[in-house]
Amino acid sequence: MDQYSHVESEQAQSAFGFHGTWREFAPIAFTNLLLIIVTLGIYRFWAKARERRYLWSRTRFIDERLEWTGTGLELFIGGILVILLFVVPYVIATQVGQAMIMRGEVVIGAILFIAPLVAIFYLMGVARFRAIRYRLGRTNWRGIRGGSNDRGFKYGWSYMWKTVAGYLAFGLGVPWAMVSLWNERWRAMSFGPMDFRCSADFSPLMKRYLLFYLSPFLLIALFTALLFAVALGLQVDGDFDPENAPIGFLAAMIAGGLLFYLGLGFIWLAYFAKFFRVVVDNMGLGDLDFHFDAKTWDWIKLGLGDVALLVLTLGLGFVFLGYRHWKFFVTHMQAFGEINVDGLTQSTTRRDRHGEGLLDAFDMGAI
Amino acid sequence: MIQRETIPAFWYDGLTARRHEGAAEWDGGDNLLLLSETGASMDVALGDLVFVERGALDGSYSRKSDDGFRLVLTGSVPDALAERLPSGQKFGKWIDGLGLPKAAALFAGVSAALLAIVLTAPTWLGPRVPPSWERKIGDAMIGDMGNRLCRTPASDAALAKLVSQLDPEQPVTRVGIANIDMVNAVALPGGQVLIFDGLIQEADDPDELAGVIGHEIGHVRERHVMQALLRQFGLSVLLGGINSDIGTGIFGVAAMSYSRDAEREADEFSRQQLARSNISPEGTAEFFEYLKEEMGGGPEWASWIASHPMPDEREEAFRDAIRGDHDYTPALTSAEFAAIRDACTDDPDVEEFDFF
Repeated sequence: MDQYSHVESEQAQSAFGFHGTWREFAPIAFTNLLLIIVTLGIYRFWAKARERRYLWSRTRFIDERLEWTGTGLELFIGGILVILLFVVPYVIATQVGQAMIMRGEVVIGAILFIAPLVAIFYLMGVARFRAIRYRLGRTNWRGIRGGSNDRGFKYGWSYMWKTVAGYLAFGLGVPWAMVSLWNERWRAMSFGPMDFRCSADFSPLMKRYLLFYLSPFLLIALFTALLFAVALGLQVDGDFDPENAPIGFLAAMIAGGLLFYLGLGFIWLAYFAKFFRVVVDNMGLGDLDFHFDAKTWDWIKLGLGDVALLVLTLGLGFVFLGYRHWKFFVTHMQAFGEINVDGLTQSTTRRDRHGEGLLDAFDMGAI
Repeated sequence: MIQRETIPAFWYDGLTARRHEGAAEWDGGDNLLLLSETGASMDVALGDLVFVERGALDGSYSRKSDDGFRLVLTGSVPDALAERLPSGQKFGKWIDGLGLPKAAALFAGVSAALLAIVLTAPTWLGPRVPPSWERKIGDAMIGDMGNRLCRTPASDAALAKLVSQLDPEQPVTRVGIANIDMVNAVALPGGQVLIFDGLIQEADDPDELAGVIGHEIGHVRERHVMQALLRQFGLSVLLGGINSDIGTGIFGVAAMSYSRDAEREADEFSRQQLARSNISPEGTAEFFEYLKEEMGGGPEWASWIASHPMPDEREEAFRDAIRGDHDYTPALTSAEFAAIRDACTDDPDVEEFDFF
């Protein structure tokens, strides 16, 4: 008889659960920090593997924990590969380019400057694809892992042209580009024998995107009106001399400027929260359907918490960021349906013996 | 030894996601026999097992040959078997072997030693790089300044006279006037010294110019440029692993202290050459007085992080070098000085100096 793992229909318990605690994680975080410092940063590859081993092992999917099988050594090899294949050629190209420009060979110099930038653009797409592939390939559930048969080189081209196309129409195509790229990369991924499904549509995102798109104009208008009112109020009160503005007016200017960027950030998060819900809600694997329930306010709390953590610890709190983000992701993730565990056979996808070096170098997140 | 031990267990075989419930049997040999309730069996070698953490208190065993395999022993494990089972890695193979405190101390020691080498080695390595190599490196990096230098036949002759007084032994330096309106002068790799036109316009007499050029030639002669190049290269390789500005910030400050020592050495060289050529150091002292007023005399602590010593300290050193009743000769005639002052306006095909 086949074994099934299924999500309780009454939803007494979410399919995903996280039961780590920061007290339990703290010794890992602090020893990682110590070792990163004394090794001048080299330990960070092993630190990342330790962190993930902990986070994955405290994450439950339906009735079994996840396991991280990646190692620090393969992340380290990934990092070395990036330096050899990418950082060294990049530094040489820009140095030679600079020397050429100094000699008046502006055209050759400019090419030597621009070509590496185009290469970075392409490789950013490849890196994002390969990071997801790497993480799925090192994630075990009931002994089964994921992966992809693609190696991401084709996706790099899609990433380039779709991103450019998204920005061409005055940036109005950005939601289309983001959703289409998400669909493309997740459709290439699999877990065990099953391919991920992903067929999100960008149109539900347009309302919030337009809000973000138009908000700078709205905010500037609002801001000018406010300043005008303040100035007018001061004028009524006494004499207003723009050359010698009173301190209150300057404070209002600075506060307004800060609020402008903060406001813009919040509106972007409102868009991004919706984006994440839409793409995840349209994902499936076998008989499972996924759902993500974080609202804009949850993302804002996550972001403000990160900032507070970094500021209060003078930056050293960065060792807890990975924990916070993973917990956020897992607690908001839901799944419905069931899995036939006998049908979930081992993945036959190829695994490379090196980690996500590229992505690490560009400092991007996966998923 | 003959006695068979049976330990309740469950496992995943790495082929499907099915969970096998049953028991692990051990006869004291090198293998575990896994027997499931449904009758399936599997043989695993003890030497093939690796420990994997599963949660706060329990662990599981994977196989070196298959990282999908998972065995969890749910019953108590007899001591004899526990001794044969592998233990897990915590920090990594080397660190676990040494223990965290020892390993951390060892790494810190090695890192400190490497940093010390990178910071100090250029001091003795720099002067050992043949000047012809430095010149090649400099030419590769910067090349010919071309028309961005101001030059007329008269200014070239005047500069050559000044340089031959300050650097009489087979000059390795090339001194030029850069068409930049800033009060500054730089020594670049390859013995290239640039005096900015802004500084020349600010100078009251040729002696002042001689002191500044002497200082920059001092940097070239003492091989400071080569040392700084080596130090910067070493630091960027060593700190490449730290993905933050904090590292570069901290060690930038450390490198600055070498820079201040180098400035003092270059000043010293300048004073020696002025004395040798019978040029008065007074003009240079006045130049630093001018700088001091421009900077507004920063607080004392600023000298710890500045690249140059404080101007008042430098002014004093040049003032102390003046010999009271000595008869100095001017570094240049007023006609020669005027040729240098007018070089940028008189040069017909000089170009704007932009770095981009």
